[in-house]
Amino acid sequence: MRSAVTSRYNMQTVLLLAPALLVLAAVFVIPLGRLFSLAFTDPAGTWVPFQTLLTSPVYRQVVANTLVVALAVTAICAVLAWPVAYVLSRLKGVWFVIALYGVLFPFWISVLVRTFSWMLLLERNGPLNRMLAGSGMTDGPIALLFNNTGVMIGMVHVLLPYMILPLYSAMTRIDRRLLLASDGLGAGLLDTFRRIYLPLCLPGLAGGATFVFLLSLGFFITPALLGGANAITLSMLIASFVNDRLAWSLAAAGSLALLLIVLLIMGLTAKMLPLEKGMFAK
Amino acid sequence: MHRRTFLLSVAAGALVAGVSAFPRLGRAQNRPFTFTSFGGALSDAEKSAFTDPFAELKGIQIVNTSPTETAKIKAMVEAGAVEWDLVDVGGRTVRQGDEEGFLEKLDLSKIPNAANLEKGWVAPYGIATSTGATVMAWSTSSFPDGGPESWADFWDVKRFPGPRGLYKYFYYNYEAALLAAGVKREEIYPLTPEKAEMALGKIKEIKSSVTVWWGSGAQPPQLLSSGELALSSAWSGRVLAASQEGAPVGYTFKDGIAWANWFVIPKGSPYAELAHELIDFSLAPEQQAKLLDLKTYGPVLGSVTSDADAETRKILVMTPENLKEMLIISESDARKYMLEYEEQWNQLMLQ
Repeated sequence: MRSAVTSRYNMQTVLLLAPALLVLAAVFVIPLGRLFSLAFTDPAGTWVPFQTLLTSPVYRQVVANTLVVALAVTAICAVLAWPVAYVLSRLKGVWFVIALYGVLFPFWISVLVRTFSWMLLLERNGPLNRMLAGSGMTDGPIALLFNNTGVMIGMVHVLLPYMILPLYSAMTRIDRRLLLASDGLGAGLLDTFRRIYLPLCLPGLAGGATFVFLLSLGFFITPALLGGANAITLSMLIASFVNDRLAWSLAAAGSLALLLIVLLIMGLTAKMLPLEKGMFAK
Repeated sequence: MHRRTFLLSVAAGALVAGVSAFPRLGRAQNRPFTFTSFGGALSDAEKSAFTDPFAELKGIQIVNTSPTETAKIKAMVEAGAVEWDLVDVGGRTVRQGDEEGFLEKLDLSKIPNAANLEKGWVAPYGIATSTGATVMAWSTSSFPDGGPESWADFWDVKRFPGPRGLYKYFYYNYEAALLAAGVKREEIYPLTPEKAEMALGKIKEIKSSVTVWWGSGAQPPQLLSSGELALSSAWSGRVLAASQEGAPVGYTFKDGIAWANWFVIPKGSPYAELAHELIDFSLAPEQQAKLLDLKTYGPVLGSVTSDADAETRKILVMTPENLKEMLIISESDARKYMLEYEEQWNQLMLQ
């Protein structure tokens, strides 16, 4: 028999968690369950939506395109975030505050507004194309909109902070004396980076990469506005199943497939990398 | 039973009860009559020609909302919480509603004015109330001396160079491609596999010049004005509205693909009676004639076009001289090629 104290403690836990659990169940778990049940209740047969998705070369290509875009966005974010995070970890006082707000500021502007701004910047006669042509780097306007290039530019912009912040927190935790020691023991700059700094940053990199990659997989607004018919992602395909084709069983099967891909990737990353250290870095 | 498990099961029970009570919340009977349409030029026209005068006549309040969305109608009907009473949709939705059963079957005895329409504009689950067309539009800064006059011109990338826009589905493009290939208007339908293949092949031909596959009516005039596109297919009303506002956009009704805007009633609307009345009201000659003044989307009633001045007649689908140069879309064929060639279409898009 459990003691009265433990039982009271449990009660408290239940009561404290109850509001959040109820809200999550009502607005997330139950609708999600109903959505997924649509995937298995197609009048044509239980597995028909999944067969359709698996056998169609078009849908396979869309999944491949989604993965390629997500991977590319993650890689570009990592390269761009690295120096920013490093500078952030070295700054002090007011400069640090300014730099941090610089990273966080985009969060306060709606993704929709930022995406529309990119449409203006990237269009054929837009400032970017005029600048490229004016500086002689291109002969004529290049296609930056309504293709994967536009999608990636927009997504990198939106997702960059998700890479910078975990990287920054990993970098601040690095004991600078280790770098001094490495230097003192005769290792060159490159060696110190490769054998000391990089491994210590890895948890942050893994955390940031996971965030960015998973968010990229399900991203909708940016690809829908900046992409085109030849740059379809899985989320756009699901939207078209819902709105245009009214094929809700296919939409449900597609969503379930996306969720499974995400869970699989999360499982693999968690297994290979000490993820929690990166995500909840102190 | 542990207290915790008990608590959890109580919570779960309350939750289930709460959730099952949700649909009833939406079924408010005392909301006003709601009309939903595409937004933009069409919604403006319908508000001033149909819904405002009707609301005044009946002494009721009508809420005008947009945008129309077939999936939303289906969801409302399935959830038993219909919030739209009369909806303006494209011809495809009328067929989908018929097949999937989310629309109210129209009682033509309550819509006597429908008898004055051409037969193609009346269907069991929807009635056309205004007309428009998918026309060729161009940027006047790219082509100051005039744009294409036929779909064959549109396909001619040497005479009319520049990035193009087309609709993102096979819809309209089947017709445009066949017309560009030289198929006669009267031979576009019925759909046959040979014609579908020919259309897909013709679109493949021009695909490298098509930089935007547009999905919403606002896109073509905007992209033509900003110079992103040199020429594009576009919905006539949107182009007319943009050019009235001074946008540098040219257009022609020649070789246009004419269609109608259809009124449908979601199944289970508490105002189905009133919706029938509003459809009939909208088809009355006075109301149809009001569309002429707005110069965007035209009447569906051919007889009122004779009152229009020469300038307005140029932008009306239903005048005999324009109809001669246009193709009226066959929604049943369109539904068929959209479904049967979806896979090939998507594959073509991803190439």
